[in-house]
Amino acid sequence: MSQYGFYFDKEKCIGCRACEVACQVWNNAVQTVKWRNVSCLTRGTYPEVTGVNASLACMHCAEAPCKKACPRQAISKEEDSGGVTVDQSRCVGCMLCLWACPFGAPQMGVKGRMEKCTFCEERPVGKIKRACEEICPQQAIVSGRIEDLVLRSKQVVAERLSYDKQAEVILGHEEK
Amino acid sequence: MTRDVINEIRGTKTVPGVCMICPWHCPTENFVKNGRVEYVRGNEYAVNATSRCVKGISSIHSSRDSDRLLYPMKRNSQGVHERISWDDALTQIAARLKANKDAFGPESLVYLWHLDSNETFTHKLFGELYGTPNLSGHGAACDQDRRLAALETFAHPLPVKDYANSRFVMLWGADPFGPNEALHENRELLESMKKGCRLVVVDPNRSRTAEKAHLWLPIKPGTDGALALAMAYHIIETKSYDQAFCDEWVHGFSEFAEHVLSNEYTPKWAETITGISRETIIAVADEFALTKPALMDGLKGLVNYTTGLDALRTVFALNVITGNIDGPGNLILKELAPLDMPVDIPEEAITATEQLPLGSAMGYPLAPDMPTQLLPEAVLEGNPYPVKSLFFHICNPAQSDPNTRLFEKMMAAVDLSVTIDIYMSETAQLSEFVLPEASTYERAEVRESLWAGPQVVFAQPAIEPLGESKPLYEIMKGLAEKMGYGEYFQWNSWEDWARKQTAFLPVTYEELKEKGVWEGELRYHKFKTDGGLATPSGKFEIYSNLFEEMGYSPLPGFSEEHRIKPDAEYPFQLINCKMQYHCGTHTQNNPYLMSIVSENWVELNTNDARRLGIADGDRVEVSSPQASATISAKVSEAVQPGVARVPHGHGFGRRFGTLARGKGTHINPLFETRMNPVSGGISFNECTVNIRKI
Ligand code: SF4
Ligand code: SF4
Repeated sequence: MSQYGFYFDKEKCIGCRACEVACQVWNNAVQTVKWRNVSCLTRGTYPEVTGVNASLACMHCAEAPCKKACPRQAISKEEDSGGVTVDQSRCVGCMLCLWACPFGAPQMGVKGRMEKCTFCEERPVGKIKRACEEICPQQAIVSGRIEDLVLRSKQVVAERLSYDKQAEVILGHEEK
Repeated sequence: MTRDVINEIRGTKTVPGVCMICPWHCPTENFVKNGRVEYVRGNEYAVNATSRCVKGISSIHSSRDSDRLLYPMKRNSQGVHERISWDDALTQIAARLKANKDAFGPESLVYLWHLDSNETFTHKLFGELYGTPNLSGHGAACDQDRRLAALETFAHPLPVKDYANSRFVMLWGADPFGPNEALHENRELLESMKKGCRLVVVDPNRSRTAEKAHLWLPIKPGTDGALALAMAYHIIETKSYDQAFCDEWVHGFSEFAEHVLSNEYTPKWAETITGISRETIIAVADEFALTKPALMDGLKGLVNYTTGLDALRTVFALNVITGNIDGPGNLILKELAPLDMPVDIPEEAITATEQLPLGSAMGYPLAPDMPTQLLPEAVLEGNPYPVKSLFFHICNPAQSDPNTRLFEKMMAAVDLSVTIDIYMSETAQLSEFVLPEASTYERAEVRESLWAGPQVVFAQPAIEPLGESKPLYEIMKGLAEKMGYGEYFQWNSWEDWARKQTAFLPVTYEELKEKGVWEGELRYHKFKTDGGLATPSGKFEIYSNLFEEMGYSPLPGFSEEHRIKPDAEYPFQLINCKMQYHCGTHTQNNPYLMSIVSENWVELNTNDARRLGIADGDRVEVSSPQASATISAKVSEAVQPGVARVPHGHGFGRRFGTLARGKGTHINPLFETRMNPVSGGISFNECTVNIRKI
């Protein structure tokens, strides 16, 4: 079984929310229901202010808490993609999945049934990007097989280090 | 291409288009099925690739919005707009235009636009045949000072950025990440930063771009020019400029150096003015001068002050004296593609204009765009000459210009007023005729876009025009026929003129039509190979003889003579900024965008808010010497103490649109008409306010 997922680069994200809307437009979701959500946080006092943006959708967890929480077995884990999907005809709208999800990913749609990121199930992985990913002006979102994404993130870190002027760096230390 | 994958999944067809939300005009792809636009994204053949900004992707709604203008209308004697046929509308407008030309001359017609879309047809009909010199964009409310500074220094109105190769970038009062300007540039900047490029941002407020910067300089509002001069002082004093480049390519370097040194624009001098320490100024100047390639650029945060023009001239001079211009990683003097005109007007049919354009005639001979805030004077007092006919093409000065009341007075007095738009607007409401235009999804356009090299976008109609709406080229053709110029606007389909326009491009018409975009070669240092610049000296001019002849200072200095600064009565500087999720007045009826942000606000520093007893979300009254407005407060650490930041008033507080109506606050009545004395650009931020909780 493969497991697909999203790579997200917070240093690239500018909090523009194009991903939120592309997801809605592609998946014909209602404008007020967001399968992907962008949060923008700022901390500190002027002028020592830092900010971070995060664009999150369903993580398609390996051990999905939502799946365990659902009393109607409406949620399943796809064999081929590792995608976590919901069978709306079984959903009764009890919201237990939302309580269980650490990321607030499940959304109660206008019909009161759970809906969420489907990993753009119609889009064949490897042939085309997810809607959020293809629209992102900063290419902050990358989708793919988890193994490939892990490799990618290592490469990105290595590349950054190779451009660093300082000979030694403390990993995990955030440059201001 | 991945567009085929989408078409296979959804059973759609790809029609290349162009985004008409903001003036960056990204090349797009529209996916169409059964006369409906199903999905939109960026054009994967173009530099922006499949990406769009949030406003671009949301704009799919305007292809289906039932609030669109669907038929022509004319205001009756009770002031109510009534439906009228196209034929009647065009016949009447043509007759009135003729009468006004006969009685007052062709210059009595003023035509304004915002997005510069299909305006070549307007130039042919109104500029060449009818003969008015008064066709203009709305630059006076936007980038006027930058345009003039760039024309003066580089003889190029719109330098763009080659971040991909930069090692050091400094942005002054520019927030490209905030309102999502030039998508490909933004992507390249962050990619370069991952490869070690440094970003310095000068802005009183922590903008989206400042958030990403290595160094943010929280400068006092309107003092950027002093900081730039102090950097120049240090660079000249330490001789870290590019001597060889200055000798060969810079006009007036020694005068500039002498001017900067003798006026003692030292880091110490700038420290008190700008609030940025002299050590920081020196460190940044050193880093800029020693890191190559580098670029620096400025935008709204500079042009919104009366000090903006000189600040931008100095910023451009800094690029030039360090040899950072038009090379890899620099500001690029964008080359245009060899596009032909869609139609040609024979020499003998062209009306030679005798009158100067309104801007020149009113004392702003160097103004790149017409200082539109002077229009009321021309209309109401016939000074410097009578203006009788006004056209507004997707442009809404009733919301976007200062001094709304004066604008309304002018609209009541003018003889003929016509608004061409896709939505009912506040300006349309004040106009006698309202003509519905087809949206970008329903019409063709061949145009240059804003990549650093030559780039042509070929947008094609994806669906039929909504209601009776028509593309601008059909409106101009219809008017031309009624005005007796029909013979020059002959085509059966838009493809006829599109073929003519693209004939000189090194790509077949079929391939261009299929891809929707053509990008040429990005050439660097063109001035070296192409025989110099188009400036009078053929060099980069940091000393302007033209300015001198016109009676302006040939060198950029720093004067706060026209500044309006906070005082005891009005203790806050009002800063007008762009909003990330909206643009102009067209996005306020968009359900996607309104679900993200549905109103504007005044943003205050936490300490200021606490002192005034204002909590986040409170309603407050903001008053300037001109007017007051009620608006929601947002308490934030991103705003400088003493500053009140309001995202674009001109999109909110609207009177039309099911979703837009009544949301947020129209802030522009608070602004007095202040302008840069040379460029005629509107200095929106020269406004101080008082704020109290209500
Ligand atoms: S589209 Fe990209 S940059 Fe914009 S919010 Fe989403 S992840 Fe961030
Ligand atoms: S909805 Fe939440 S818990 Fe369930 S798979 Fe997605 S991220 Fe995991």
